[in-house]
Amino acid sequence: MAGLSDLELRRELQALGFQPGPITDTTRDVYRNKLRRLRGEARLRDEERLREEAGPRGEERPREEARLREDGPLRARPAAASLRAEPWLSQPTSGSAYATPGAYGDIRPSAASWVGSRGLAYPARPAQLRRRASVRGSSEEDEDARTPDRAVQGPGLVARRWWAASPASARLPSALLGPDPRPGLRATRAGLAGAARARPEVGRRLERWLSRLLLWASLGLLLVFLGILWVKMGKPSAPQEAEDNSTSRFCQAKQKAALLELLHELYNFLAIQAGNFECGNPEKLKSKCIPVTEAQEYIANVTSSSSAKFEAALTWILSSNKDVGIWLKGEDQSELVTTVDKVVCLESARPRMGVGCRLSRALLTALTNVLIFFWCLAFLWGLLILLKYRWRKLEEEEQAMYEMVKKIIDVVQDHYVDWEQDMERYPYVGILHVRDTLIPPQSRRRMKRVWDRAVEFLASNESRIQTESHRVAGEDMLVWRWTKPSSFSDSER
Amino acid sequence: MTTSQKHRDFVAEPMGEKPVGNLAGIDEVRGKKLEERGFDKAYVVLGQFLVLKKDKDLFREWLKDTCGTNAKQSRDYFGCLQEWCDTFL
Repeated sequence: MAGLSDLELRRELQALGFQPGPITDTTRDVYRNKLRRLRGEARLRDEERLREEAGPRGEERPREEARLREDGPLRARPAAASLRAEPWLSQPTSGSAYATPGAYGDIRPSAASWVGSRGLAYPARPAQLRRRASVRGSSEEDEDARTPDRAVQGPGLVARRWWAASPASARLPSALLGPDPRPGLRATRAGLAGAARARPEVGRRLERWLSRLLLWASLGLLLVFLGILWVKMGKPSAPQEAEDNSTSRFCQAKQKAALLELLHELYNFLAIQAGNFECGNPEKLKSKCIPVTEAQEYIANVTSSSSAKFEAALTWILSSNKDVGIWLKGEDQSELVTTVDKVVCLESARPRMGVGCRLSRALLTALTNVLIFFWCLAFLWGLLILLKYRWRKLEEEEQAMYEMVKKIIDVVQDHYVDWEQDMERYPYVGILHVRDTLIPPQSRRRMKRVWDRAVEFLASNESRIQTESHRVAGEDMLVWRWTKPSSFSDSER
Repeated sequence: MTTSQKHRDFVAEPMGEKPVGNLAGIDEVRGKKLEERGFDKAYVVLGQFLVLKKDKDLFREWLKDTCGTNAKQSRDYFGCLQEWCDTFL
């Protein structure tokens, strides 16, 4: 600072938005102090703005640009700036296929280590983000290759993009629209972590934890959605009755074969009926459970086997403990059936449905399941926004309180000085008088809360002002008395 | 804030060759300090005030650095000069 010439000093001040007058012998020191103060303020403003997370992007951008303009000429550009920018550029390309959450996490700490060369890296940021977005796009394509049915992925992908946008609070997809200053803000915030914090620690940690939790929840939701889609699509499965090893006796084998053929027919019939029932029910069936008589009739028509064989088949099903894919139901739907007589109807365990039907059902189930999580997430987001709003309000109130405290200290001290110079009668001044001096009548009700907090603060935290009760003009009232000698200068000035 | 008699006297007419001590907010001690620095007349201080582009904070800071005024004194001084400027400048 001492090495600055008059011209440089003037230029620095103008860069910070202040128009100085002539810099003469008498004004030089004053302007030097002013420059020092403006630089400190600018630095504080940087940190405060960085600490505001999830602020509206629109107003962050012009502010950040203004900040960059201000700080550009002031910050020295380290020679390693270009080197530092490059490792960051190479990072996205090295990210693995579906490690998008991983990639995002990797980029953030590496960006956090990149400090100082904001002026240089700012134009590079859009390119980096576009590359990151393309990595994400390629990872989605890899994901596609894994699933069997491309048709599903069409609507699924669209839904997923939309999902990625909303839970991730439009972080990454918005990068496609324009440069996103958030990663840069995070970087500089981590870089400037040493400065004083405006917000309470606990609140900020909780906020960060909540945001991170929401991010992971959304990503987990994506995975769950895909998983459900995949499972529900299913594969057409054949009846799982195990083919018995062919025995040495020909007759038994023949019988077995006939039995199995019958069962196979029965299985198919039941599966088709169940499938029809699930998918629109064109035959107006009452339930998936087909009455025994109907099944028997159908089987008799198709395989021309007797009812005895049918009953033998049913007994076989009952006795076998393997999953045949046919459920035998009795009168009481929940009870297990043990004998053939009790069987009232048959139901297929694996209804056979058309591709379209299956697809729509899968999609519907997945969406319904996911919608529940979505509402929970939305609720949590709302809560987060509310909390941030509340914290901001609290902060503003505190700032107002400190302003008031400063003014009060000024007034009380001036009063004391005046008393020393015999301009006032008492060394103390009434609290209400001070209030009425500082706050105009129309604002008194509005500022009541701020005032009370300021009075409280002074009573507990200010050692130079003593709160006492005196009898003034015949009335007891609370007063403030300045207790320090006035030749000491204030901490503020 | 009610103005003192000193203030009203100063603002009532062009300052001419009035000494620094005539300004409201400047007592003997401070006035001596200003004179030591070369600001012996009120118009020299006015010059400094104008060179600082009539900026309140800068002027008060300059006053504090030069002669150690407190908040009230510098406020009075500034108010005095500003009113004089509004009236005559």
